[in-house]
Amino acid sequence: MGQLKLSVNGRAVSRDVPGETLLVDLLREHLRLTGTHVGCDTGQCGACVVHVDGRAVKACNVLAHAVAGSQVTTIEGLADGGGLHPMQQAFNENHGLQCGFCTPGMIMSGVDMVQRYKAAGRDLDEPAIRHELEGNICRCTGYENIVKSIQSAAARM
Amino acid sequence: MSTGIGARVRRKEDRRFITGKGRYTDDIRNDNQAYAAFVRSPHAHAAVKGIDKAAAEAMEGVIAVLDGHQLTGDGIGNIITGWAITSRDGSPMNIGAWSALATDRVRYVGDAVAVVIAESPALARTAAEAVAVDYEPLAAVAQPVAALASGAPQVHDNVPGNLVFDWEIGDEARADAGLAAAAHVTEVEISNNRLAPNAIEPRSAIAIHDEAEDHYTLYTTSQNPHVARLVLSAFYNVAPEHKLRVIAPDVGGGFGSKIYIYPEEITCLWAAMKTGRSVKWTAERSEAFMTDAHGRDHVTRARMGFDKNGRITAFKVDTIANLGAYVSLFATATPTYLYGTLLSGQYDIPAIYGTVKAVNTNTVPVDAYRGAGRPEATYLIERTMDIAAREMGMDPAELRRINFIKAFPYQTQVLLNYDSGDFPALLDMAQKAADTAGFAQRKAEAAARGKLRGIGYSTFIEACGLAPSAAAGSLGAGVGLWESAEVRVNPVGTVEVLTGCHSHGQSHETTFAQLVSDRFGIPIENISIVHGDTDKVQFGMGTYGSRSGPVGMSAVMRALDKVEAKVRKIVAHQLEASEDDIEIVAGEARVAGTDRKMAWHEIGLAAYTAHNLPADMEPGLKEGAFFDPVNFSFPSGCFICEVEVDPETGVTEIVRFVSADDFGTIINPMVVEGQVHGGVTQGIGQALLEQVVYDESGQLLTGSYMDYCMPRADDVPSYAIAHGCTPSPNNPLGIKGCGEAGAIGAPPAVINAIADAIGTDDISMPATPQKVWEALHRARPAVAAE
Amino acid sequence: MDMSGEYRLDLPRAQVWEALNDPDVLRACIPGCEELEQTSDTTMTAVVVQKIGPVKARFSGEVELVNIEAPSGYTIQGEGKGGVAGFAKGAADVRLVEDGDGTLLSYEARAQIGGKLAQLGSRLINSTAKKLANAFFENFRTHLSGRAGKSDA
Repeated sequence: MGQLKLSVNGRAVSRDVPGETLLVDLLREHLRLTGTHVGCDTGQCGACVVHVDGRAVKACNVLAHAVAGSQVTTIEGLADGGGLHPMQQAFNENHGLQCGFCTPGMIMSGVDMVQRYKAAGRDLDEPAIRHELEGNICRCTGYENIVKSIQSAAARM
Repeated sequence: MSTGIGARVRRKEDRRFITGKGRYTDDIRNDNQAYAAFVRSPHAHAAVKGIDKAAAEAMEGVIAVLDGHQLTGDGIGNIITGWAITSRDGSPMNIGAWSALATDRVRYVGDAVAVVIAESPALARTAAEAVAVDYEPLAAVAQPVAALASGAPQVHDNVPGNLVFDWEIGDEARADAGLAAAAHVTEVEISNNRLAPNAIEPRSAIAIHDEAEDHYTLYTTSQNPHVARLVLSAFYNVAPEHKLRVIAPDVGGGFGSKIYIYPEEITCLWAAMKTGRSVKWTAERSEAFMTDAHGRDHVTRARMGFDKNGRITAFKVDTIANLGAYVSLFATATPTYLYGTLLSGQYDIPAIYGTVKAVNTNTVPVDAYRGAGRPEATYLIERTMDIAAREMGMDPAELRRINFIKAFPYQTQVLLNYDSGDFPALLDMAQKAADTAGFAQRKAEAAARGKLRGIGYSTFIEACGLAPSAAAGSLGAGVGLWESAEVRVNPVGTVEVLTGCHSHGQSHETTFAQLVSDRFGIPIENISIVHGDTDKVQFGMGTYGSRSGPVGMSAVMRALDKVEAKVRKIVAHQLEASEDDIEIVAGEARVAGTDRKMAWHEIGLAAYTAHNLPADMEPGLKEGAFFDPVNFSFPSGCFICEVEVDPETGVTEIVRFVSADDFGTIINPMVVEGQVHGGVTQGIGQALLEQVVYDESGQLLTGSYMDYCMPRADDVPSYAIAHGCTPSPNNPLGIKGCGEAGAIGAPPAVINAIADAIGTDDISMPATPQKVWEALHRARPAVAAE
Repeated sequence: MDMSGEYRLDLPRAQVWEALNDPDVLRACIPGCEELEQTSDTTMTAVVVQKIGPVKARFSGEVELVNIEAPSGYTIQGEGKGGVAGFAKGAADVRLVEDGDGTLLSYEARAQIGGKLAQLGSRLINSTAKKLANAFFENFRTHLSGRAGKSDA
C-alpha cells in the first residue's frame, strides 16, 4: 500500500500500514494514542470521534489511507500546550463524565458542533445539542451534564 | 472552597479522562503481546461433534488453537454461581455444568468452543473463522415460559424441566386469607423486558504468565478484582491467590455486567500459560451483545387485594425468571433475595407471598444489571398500584399515600427490616417540584395541540449496601459482604486510602478523598485513592449494589477513626496535653484554647521518625478497618414523570421528570445527581426503547446498536432533582447509596404516565411508538377513528 | 419467514421438470452460486456467496431434493454454513402444473438464519429472501426461455 503520510496532532507521521488499517487502529495501535476509543463495531457509539481537517469523523469508519495528507486531531492534541481546551474544562466543571470512556468522542463531537454552529451563525441551544449528539452514546451520565458542558463551552469558545 | 462532606467538589479523576490519558484494559500492550479470538456457536443449542483446527493452525501468525477438552484436561474448573438457593420443597437448586470453553454441547448463540491465539487481532479473527466446528443442531428454547412447558427442549440433562429452583417467600395462607377478605382484587400479568447492559467500554482481558515465578497477572474490566482473584483461584484452579494478581485499571462502566468472572478471562489466563505469551482479548460490541450477562427477563402474575378504603390487604406474586443457558455468579440471588424481599415496596402490606421459578433457556446467562431484582419488584408493585387505582377510581398518588409505611423501623412480611424513611415527605416534595397542581391545565393545553398528556408516579424503596455477612451467609451467599479500607498517612502528611471498592465511573477518587479532607482539613490534592489492584489492596468485595457509599465509605470512616485516635495520642504526647483537648481542624492539631499546635506534616513526621512517641506506641501512621453492615440500607424515592403521546404516531415524549430521593447523607451532591441522571436514563431506556430479542429458535436478533435501541441525548429530558434526607442509622455516615435508584424507580413512572395518557393499562415495556399506537387503537377505537 | 410465488413458463412440463433437476441449470440460476456439484441423484454440494445487510458470506453446504413426484414437483432443501457469519437454511416446495402449452410453476419457501446473520441482518432477511427467491425463478424463466428460443430455431 505504500507509505502513509499525514499529520497527527500537528506532528508529521509517516507509517507503512496495510491498506485495510482503520484510522482508529492507526491511532491506537501504531501511534499508541489510546485516548480514541472503540465502543462498537457499527459506527454508532461515537467513542472514536476525531477531527480530520477540522471536521468530526468516526475513526472506526475510515481507512487510514483515506485520510493521507490530512491533519488529524485526537483528544490528546486538542489543547494547546499543557492546558485544557475550553470544552475539556467545561466537562470537568459540569461533571460531564463518569467512567470517561465515551468522553473523548463526546468532547471532539462537542468541539465540532460548536464550531459548525458558530460558523453558520446558528444558536446552539439545548435541543440542538441533544439532536447533534445522535451519534454519541453515553451509558453513565444520562447526557444531562454533557449537554450542560457543551453549552457552557460554547459560550467560551 | 470546602472539600469536605456535602461539597460539590470537582472530580480529581477527570483530568486523565478529558485529555485522553485514561488507562483502560485495551490501552495496555505488553512486549510479547498475542491476541485471542473466540470461536463461537452460531446455534442456540447443538451437539459439538468435532472441531477441525488444522486449517487455522496452519495459518501464518497463529500461535495456538485451543479447545474445551484441552481446558478441562488441564484441570480448569467449571464456572460457579455464588449464592445457593433452596427450593420451597427443601431441595437444592439444579445447576448445569458450565465450562469456559464448551466441550460436547453449546447452549446459546455465542457459547465459545475454542480460542485462537495469534500475532494480531485481525489474524486471530481470521483464523477463528477457519476453525471448522461440526455442530449437530438441537431443538432450542429461548422464552422462559416456554422453557417450563412439558416437552420443552432440555438445556441441561441434569436440570429436569429446565427448572433451576422454585423458591418462595412469605406466608401463603395469610396472603390467601388477605385476598379472600379483600373488597377489591387487582390482577396483573407483567413482563420485565430483557436488557443488555452496554457499558460503553467492551469487556477486555490481558493475561500474563511469568514462568520464572509461576505467577499470573490479569488485567481485566472488573468491578471487583479481589472477588475475581478468589474465584479464579479457589474454583477455577488457574493459580493460587498469592500467585495471581488481578488489576482492574480504568474501567469504562459496569452496571453489573463486569461483576462476573466470564469464560474469556479464564481462557486468557490459561492460554497465557499454554503459549508463554501475554494474551489479550477485547470484545467487539457484537460479542458483548452475545456474551455479556443480560438483565431482567421476568414474567409475573400477581394479585393485590384492597379493603373498601383502599388499604392493601395482601399481595401474591408468581414470577418466572429467565437465567439463560448457564447460572452466572449472582444470577440466583437477583430474582430471589434482591427481588422477593422487596415486594412490600413503600407500603404497609400485612400479607405477602411470592414464588419464583428460575429457568434455563438457550440464551446468554442473565444476571444482575443496575438495580438487579429491585427494578423488577418496583415495576411490578408500582404498575399494580396504578392499575388498582384506575380500577377503584382512586387517585394514584392518594392510593400510595394511604398505604405508605409511616413508622420505622418497619418489619416487612418478606424478611427486610426498613431502617428509616419519610415517604409522604418525598411524595410532597416531588409533587411540588412537578407542579402536579397545574397538571390538569397542562393536559388541557396539550389536548388543544392534539397531544395526550399523562402523569405517572413511582414511589419506591431499594435495599442497598447489601447485607450483613452473617445474614447473607445464612441465606446461601458464598461470600461476606463487608468492605475493607486502609488509610496510610505518609511521613510528609499526604494520605493514601486503599479501598476494596472499585470505581468505574462512580467518582471514588474524589468522594472517598472528601472523607479524609473533611476529617483532617487537609487539601484534597494531598489525598489519593488506591483501588483495583490485588497487589496493593489486601481484599475487598468491589462495587455493585450501591454499596461503595454505605459499606466502602463506612470502612474508610472506621480506619479514619483509628488514625485520628493515634494522631490525638501523638499530639497530646508531644504537646503535653490531654487527648480530649486536641482539636483537628484545617490540617492542624491544636490544644483547644491555646496556640500550641502541630501541622499535619509534622504529625506524620513524628509518627515515622518515632523519636518522641508515647512509650507503648508503635511507629507509623497507618490503620485498616473492615466494616460489616448490620443491615441493608434503604434508599427511597418518588419519581413523577409527565409524557405527551402523539396519537397519530404513538411517539412518547417525556416532557417532565422529577426525582425526589432519600439517599441519607450525601457526600458530593454533584456526583449523586450524576448517578441519578444516568440511572433514570437507563430506566427510561428500559421503559421506551430497549429490549433484547431472541427468536423462537434462540437466535439473537438484537446484536448491534442498529437493532438494540440505546437512549440517545434527544430521547431524554433534562431532569429536576430534589433530595430528602433521613440518615441511615446503620452506618457511621448515614449513607444509603445512590447508584441504582434511577434505574429502579424510572420504568414504572414512565409507563404509568403513558397509561394515564392513553387511558389503558394494556401497554408493556418497551413502549415503542408502534406498541403505544396499537394500544391506543385497541382501547379507544373512537378516538383513533377521529 | 415464509414466501410464495407463481410463474408461467412457455415450456411443456416435462422440459421444466428436466431443467429443475439439471445441476447446470441450478448453478446458473441460483443467485451468487459459485459451485454446485451433484453428489448423488438427489444431493448436491454448493458454494453460494450472499450479502445480507452488512454481512457478506460464502456459504458452503448441501442441497437435497426430497418429496420427488416427477414431473409435478419436489421439495428442494439446503443448509449453508457461512463461518463466523452464521448459517442459513431453507426449503422450497415447487409444484408444476400443466397450463395449455406451458407450465405453471408455484413455490412455497421457508428460510431461517442464525449467528451473525441473525444479529445484524434479521431486519433485512424477509426482503432479502424474497428478493433471492424472485431472482432464482426469474433467472430460471430467462434461462428456459433461452432454451425455448433455441428449440424454436
